[in-house]
Amino acid sequence: MNEVIRKRLLIDGDGAGDDRRINVLLKSFTKWCNSGGSPEEGFTQYQRMLGTLAQCEFSMGKTVLVYNMNLREMENYEKIYADIEQSITSAHDKIAECKKEILRAKRIRKNRQEYDALAKVIQQHPDRHETMKQLKALDKELQQLSRIKENVEDKLELRKKQFHVLLSTIRELQQTLENDEKLESDESQDCTMENGQ
Amino acid sequence: MGPVELLHMSVFSQSFSPCGRFLAAGNNYGEIAVFSLSSSLSPEATEINRKPILTFTAHEGPVFSLLSTDTHLLSAGNGEISAWSWTELAKRNTKAVWIRRPQYKLSLEIPEINAMVINARDNSLAVGGGDNNVHIMDLESGIFKSVLQGHTDYIHCLSIREREGELLSGGEDGAVRMWDVRTGQSVHCVEVYKYEQCARPQHGKWISCVTTDSDWMLCGGGPSLSLWHLRSLSPTSVFPLSGCQRQAMFYQDLILAVGEGHFASHCLLGGEVKSLIPCTPPSLNTLALNTNSTEHRVLTVGGSSDQIDVFTNLSYRAFSLSF
Repeated sequence: MNEVIRKRLLIDGDGAGDDRRINVLLKSFTKWCNSGGSPEEGFTQYQRMLGTLAQCEFSMGKTVLVYNMNLREMENYEKIYADIEQSITSAHDKIAECKKEILRAKRIRKNRQEYDALAKVIQQHPDRHETMKQLKALDKELQQLSRIKENVEDKLELRKKQFHVLLSTIRELQQTLENDEKLESDESQDCTMENGQ
Repeated sequence: MGPVELLHMSVFSQSFSPCGRFLAAGNNYGEIAVFSLSSSLSPEATEINRKPILTFTAHEGPVFSLLSTDTHLLSAGNGEISAWSWTELAKRNTKAVWIRRPQYKLSLEIPEINAMVINARDNSLAVGGGDNNVHIMDLESGIFKSVLQGHTDYIHCLSIREREGELLSGGEDGAVRMWDVRTGQSVHCVEVYKYEQCARPQHGKWISCVTTDSDWMLCGGGPSLSLWHLRSLSPTSVFPLSGCQRQAMFYQDLILAVGEGHFASHCLLGGEVKSLIPCTPPSLNTLALNTNSTEHRVLTVGGSSDQIDVFTNLSYRAFSLSF
């Protein structure tokens, strides 16, 4: 186990990527400061260090740019998130409106169907104008007939009265004639009685 | 409850609790089962949530009628009416609050009660059943105030005309009678089987379902389900449904009806059948719509099966509750 740890530390002791570069740079800087080698070597080492430094700066610049980009992306996403939330709420509202509309439309449909159903029943009954016309015609007929009846009755009354008058006159005449006859026979009886005396 | 009993079970009545979260169903064995709608409608519902939270034997005979008031569940079986408190039922306490029985003239056999309806105007309960009469009971005092006599055979169904305060009753004798509750007299009597367009002599003349929304009335049974205009007492539309309808209701612009046949029918007021929605029971007895709650607005149907179908969207069956 220690071997593994030692090996890992040996291979990866400086960290990875940029971290490693910075560690290596530090180490080479301290080595360069403490080195007693020739000026050309020192110069090459110096150049190498400048190169590494440049690499580090480049990497840092890249990271800063990426960081800014991420910040802007975040802002963008926040905006999109807010937009979507708003459209969700407006969709909810629209759905509620539509539901109300549906209820209203259903009520209207129900009313229309009730109206149609009643209309069907009403259609089965005869037209009012027709019935009124028939009623009027019947009324007129009725009036005519009652007028005729009145006329006939009047005639009947008149004939009755006339006959009554005729009959009563006849009877009166009969009475008068009878009276006259009686008077005459009385008178003649008186006469014969007188004559016989 | 063994498998054979489950096979022969029929659900005759249903009622939703006043809060809208529970459904009570009564079957032919005299049991009432209370289902929790909130747990069975939740997204993580499993089979266990579709079983009742409470099942108890309420009557000796079948529970033909269930009705909910603001606080109580009323159940009617063999001639007696029992009341259970919904809050107690939610706590699984099955003690009846009261049990009452109308005065029956015949003392030999106890007539069953087929239908109950509440008249909100004077807080009274109207029950109709096997003794051909409608008994009216005052809910406050429990006294049976009056008896409406007129039917010549047992009463199947009752309905209240809210606006006019009239009671409608349909019976085995084929007559739909309209009663004025205050005078106790039958105001109108319509014999549906005498109207040619409604009559179906091959099925009989009995009326098994009557429902009204003050201007219009639906009635059906032996004769076809028909829509009547109450002011003129004339049938306006006849629905071409094949079986005998056992329960019907008005919903928005539709008419929902269940009866013989394993489907719930949706019809339009004009007389067309818009759709037939298939259900599990082969023949349906009862249809109920939960109007007491907005988030559990479901339609439930029950019939000759131990399954009660639940519809969240009227067009298809969502799932089934089982006894």
